[in-house]
Amino acid sequence: MNTVISLLKPRVRSGINGLRKGNKRNNWARIFMFGGLGIIFWIGTFIIFYRVLSYFQGVQDFGNILAMKLLSMIIMTFFTLLLFSNIINCLSHLYLSYDLPLLHSLPVSSKDIFLSKWLGSAFDSSWMIVAFSLPIFLSYGLIYKANFIYYVIFLMAMIFICLIASALGGILVLFGAIILPAGRIRTILILLGVIMVMILIFILRLTRPEQLVNPDSFASVVLYLNSMQTPNSPLFPTTWITDAIKAALDNETKTCLFNIALTGTFAFMLIFISNMIAQIAYFKGFSKSQTTPRRLFAPLKYKGYNWESLLNFLPRASRAFAVKEIRTFFRDSSQWPQLFLMAALVIIYLYNFSVLPLNNLPIKTIYLQNLFSFLNIGLAASVLSAISARFVFPAVSMEGEAFWIVQAAPVLTKNFLWIKFFLYYIPLIILAEVLVIFSNLFLQVSPFMMVLSTITIFCLVPAVVGLATGLGAIYADFKSENPVQAVTGFGGLLFMILSFSLIAVVIILEAGPVYSIFMAQLRGQSLSFMHMVWIICSFGLALFLCLLAVFYTIHLGEKSLLIK
Amino acid sequence: MIELRELSKDYGTTLAVNKLNLNVARGEIYGFIGPNGAGKTTTIRLMGGIIAPTSGKIIIGGFDMAKNPVEAKKMIGFVPDRPFLYEKLTGMEFMRFSADLYDVKRDIILQKSKELLQQFALWNWADELIEAYSHGMKQRLIIASALLHDPKILIVDEPMVGLDPEAVHMVKDILKELAANQTTIFISTHTLSIAEDLCHRIGLIHRGTLLAEGSLDELKRVAKLGEARLEEVFLTIIKENTFI
Repeated sequence: MNTVISLLKPRVRSGINGLRKGNKRNNWARIFMFGGLGIIFWIGTFIIFYRVLSYFQGVQDFGNILAMKLLSMIIMTFFTLLLFSNIINCLSHLYLSYDLPLLHSLPVSSKDIFLSKWLGSAFDSSWMIVAFSLPIFLSYGLIYKANFIYYVIFLMAMIFICLIASALGGILVLFGAIILPAGRIRTILILLGVIMVMILIFILRLTRPEQLVNPDSFASVVLYLNSMQTPNSPLFPTTWITDAIKAALDNETKTCLFNIALTGTFAFMLIFISNMIAQIAYFKGFSKSQTTPRRLFAPLKYKGYNWESLLNFLPRASRAFAVKEIRTFFRDSSQWPQLFLMAALVIIYLYNFSVLPLNNLPIKTIYLQNLFSFLNIGLAASVLSAISARFVFPAVSMEGEAFWIVQAAPVLTKNFLWIKFFLYYIPLIILAEVLVIFSNLFLQVSPFMMVLSTITIFCLVPAVVGLATGLGAIYADFKSENPVQAVTGFGGLLFMILSFSLIAVVIILEAGPVYSIFMAQLRGQSLSFMHMVWIICSFGLALFLCLLAVFYTIHLGEKSLLIK
Repeated sequence: MIELRELSKDYGTTLAVNKLNLNVARGEIYGFIGPNGAGKTTTIRLMGGIIAPTSGKIIIGGFDMAKNPVEAKKMIGFVPDRPFLYEKLTGMEFMRFSADLYDVKRDIILQKSKELLQQFALWNWADELIEAYSHGMKQRLIIASALLHDPKILIVDEPMVGLDPEAVHMVKDILKELAANQTTIFISTHTLSIAEDLCHRIGLIHRGTLLAEGSLDELKRVAKLGEARLEEVFLTIIKENTFI
């Protein structure tokens, strides 16, 4: 055990060193921002669950069933998330970390390396889910007026569920790594996971839950609620945990202790088994992961068509960067799942507009349709912000340690950033315009709203992409093992805040003038001179802010890269 | 071809390069030696335009790196000490990428790339992703790509790290041939035998300051050593730590 503790020390020491005063990454603004957001999210979760459970308590007969069904669903969801996150983390920690060759060269057993890495992976995979489960279970405790034992049982249950998921994840990964190199398994798993999520989203969306408000289908809902009382399988650890928490809420001590003991012993048995397997299989899998990487898909042999020629209109250096960027982007398997998810989101986004029951509403919809269209500008821009955060913000960091090539090349840093900007701007502007134009067509909006939405998005997208490129350069991390994670750092958060603020300000600046124009058109009146001045100033200021976001942020990014 | 004037780089906590003055003529191989942390890599990165100096000037082929970075960099072939590349490109794609950046004539790119990849024993790997290359192969690919545009100045940081003896021998021959064809070569190295074999002049840097400079014979005289090897000269000068 001493060896395992020694192996864990560098990680702990790195954490402590990160908190030192002199560390640049440790400033109050960062701590305040992350802490504040965490607390807001935590309180928000608590309020939502408290209100939902209070509401359930008021529903006769079904209230308790619903609350318990929700509990079982939450535990099942947590377990699934934990298991998936553990599998991915175990693969990285056990087989793909940079420090593994060093660790395996040390005079320590592979079992000890496994245990230390497994503990690190279990912690990384679990802490956030445990942290955000607290407000949910606190709201259960308060609503059911639970005693002290409930909180103890809940904490034990959370620890055991994390240990079970981690041990299961470890065992699955140990077996998987013997069959396939670890890098390949990660790609396949991520793809499978995303496909599963996409199927789930489509199923949920295509069942059209909005029809539940239709009284004609209420009978089927009653039948559905009846089916909720069916007990879960007694063979699943999630059932034991749910039963333990339920029993603790109902003060049934014996049932509660039995289930928590069952869960605990199962967790420790799994850990023991995973260690036994690790003794035999871990080093074999690690050796396999050290083999030469091979492409998942073989390159196309057909050379008759060259897509690069489409970029021939660009200056030569820009074209070289563009070709490099496109190639490295599409060959990086970690980007693929995100692209699938993005495609699914776009389809669902447009589908939602297509099923809006505009013709069945009893009120006059022309105002509503145009209001939706106006708000849709903000919604589409926000979707674009999220996509930019994932793809554009890490784009400079993605250069990684190979950034010296850019620095040594006879290309100005400014040009390099503008190339990055345009490479993402073009597909994103097309995507944004498709979202806005098609949703407007579904909404059957007025020509004025159509033009306004198209132009506003045309100005907002470069602003968002410019912010992402510039801030991505300012907060570039060329040494990160996973540059995509840059967005979860301070810079990424700052980008999200600035981007959403910019979208909100532009929408607010446009809202008043748009309302005036729209109502004047509706009433057949003309606008006064003062109204015209106000409209021009508002639109002018919105445009100025968008231009500032593009040019000034990229300029700051350039300055920052020159100093790096 | 290379002129450094009062060049300094201060990282805030460390003065990595302190008022460095240096001239390297056309066709000369200049060896830059010094202990770990002496400021060799910082000097090389300053010369390559990768980092900006705190003060002083870098003149490359008559172009001021601060004022005309693009023109200055066009003259340079830069080889860093660690071979970080775009792992998701193939070797051939990286050669094309470099050729486009350095504006190599389109009609010779393919032929020249092929020749260089063959010369560096990488032709059979040309269509494999760089992530599948070994450390030495990546180092060879960087050297090959740095020679693609026939640079007038070659700046190399630790050229032999990761190379096998055959590749070391080949690189040495290539460097000698380039110098004979009037290419200026600036090499930083820990391998004193390489500096001894290759360099016309050697500069010895310690704690950011150039302690001594000259041919091997001149350095021996300065260190008051007779028939000594460069290693002894190096140790003597570093031990005395005096500006010569």
